[in-house]
Amino acid sequence: MIQLSYLDYSAVEGKSRLHRLSPKWKIMGMAFVLLLIVTVRNVPGLFLLYLILLALFLGSRIPLKIFSLTFYPLIFAILFIFISGFEPLFILLIFLKVLCGSTGVVLLLATTPYPSIFSFLGKFLPSIFVTALFLTYRSIFILLSVFEETQHALHLRGGIQWRHPWRSLSNVSNAFGHLIIQGIDASEKMYEAMILRGFKDKIHYRGE
Amino acid sequence: MRYALFLEEESMSHIHLPDGVLPIWLWGLGYVVAILVGVILFRFIKREDLTRRLPLLGMMAAAMVLGASVEIVPIAYHVNLTVISGILLGPSLTFLATFVVNVILALFGHGGVTVIGLNTLILSIEGILGYFLFRILWRVLKRLTPAVFLATFLSLLASTLSMIGVVSLGTAHYEELIHQEKKGIIGFEFGKEKEDHQEKTIPGKEVNLKRFIAIVLPLGFIGWVLEGVITSLIARYIYRLRPDLLKLGGNTA
Repeated sequence: MIQLSYLDYSAVEGKSRLHRLSPKWKIMGMAFVLLLIVTVRNVPGLFLLYLILLALFLGSRIPLKIFSLTFYPLIFAILFIFISGFEPLFILLIFLKVLCGSTGVVLLLATTPYPSIFSFLGKFLPSIFVTALFLTYRSIFILLSVFEETQHALHLRGGIQWRHPWRSLSNVSNAFGHLIIQGIDASEKMYEAMILRGFKDKIHYRGE
Repeated sequence: MRYALFLEEESMSHIHLPDGVLPIWLWGLGYVVAILVGVILFRFIKREDLTRRLPLLGMMAAAMVLGASVEIVPIAYHVNLTVISGILLGPSLTFLATFVVNVILALFGHGGVTVIGLNTLILSIEGILGYFLFRILWRVLKRLTPAVFLATFLSLLASTLSMIGVVSLGTAHYEELIHQEKKGIIGFEFGKEKEDHQEKTIPGKEVNLKRFIAIVLPLGFIGWVLEGVITSLIARYIYRLRPDLLKLGGNTA
């Protein structure tokens, strides 16, 4: 989750050409990448696409720490190895498709501030969905600070230990319970603040 | 062992299907069904109630995103929190929360964009079924911990089985992908998943779903138990501090 702050920082503070490009074009570019992922069915074609995305990633000077995010979906793709009967080209094809998809979306989020993405989505999705997206994204940062505090407290007091798995499990569950209760309290305050500011079903984004 | 743990973390309860793996008709259908389910569920909730509970929905969705990204170090597991979200939010809001979670996870690269519809359907099974099972089990057992544990365990079992069902629907597509290695540099193929794949089948290169199921179910079992225990402990903690949130309307043991 620490990468989230890097993503946000990169999207807002980045100065590359891709950062300066209109969100509309970047989202359309991502849609084109997805079209290629679902239609291209051979390794060289997908490898070429992956190289292009890698070049864009490096060219946009995005913090390399974020790059590890693109490997995450491979965890599920590994399960497809067992489906194919360990057929190497099929595995390579699936891995490249997965890597192209994840590199594309991470590239989009690391070069485009999230309000721009959500407000573009607002042209197609009902306002209630987009408002829920905005509120969730905002809430992640609120809960993240609560969670980090709780996590530090747990570590300092030896709350998570290999030798005591049951106690660790109980402590972690209590931490999540604490997180949920804090989140619910914060959501009530957030709703009051939103009503005070004239909230009516929809959050309006004024652009850059 | 390291590999087993690596798979265990992600495949047990919150499996996120990536892009480019499933056939177009399948993920397209996923979007259609998700929209239909969303429309039906939102008929059961008042607009004012939905607006009032949006910040709560945002917080619970954020908790699910955080849960999916925080590893419990000693046991190498990521929590899901869909069932506890279902219990706290109710079925309609859980569905919207699951959709939002999948959109945000897809933007982080933790799941496919094309399969948001299918992922929403699979994950929301946990939340919605968890809500109803918890209500029924609570009435029958009158004990919080076993009711939450069983509701979580059974909901995760159902969602894993539905994931296996979704993956198995794409069998013809995987076979076609396996047997078209010798095509041109860029082979655009719209809606040809089922075409002549049987003629090209080479012995030993068939799709093997049994092996996939044999890997997923045992690992899944560990995940269902762990998630059940964690959700029960979370529910117990919430009950101690804010029993009103669980809307139990009676005493518990």
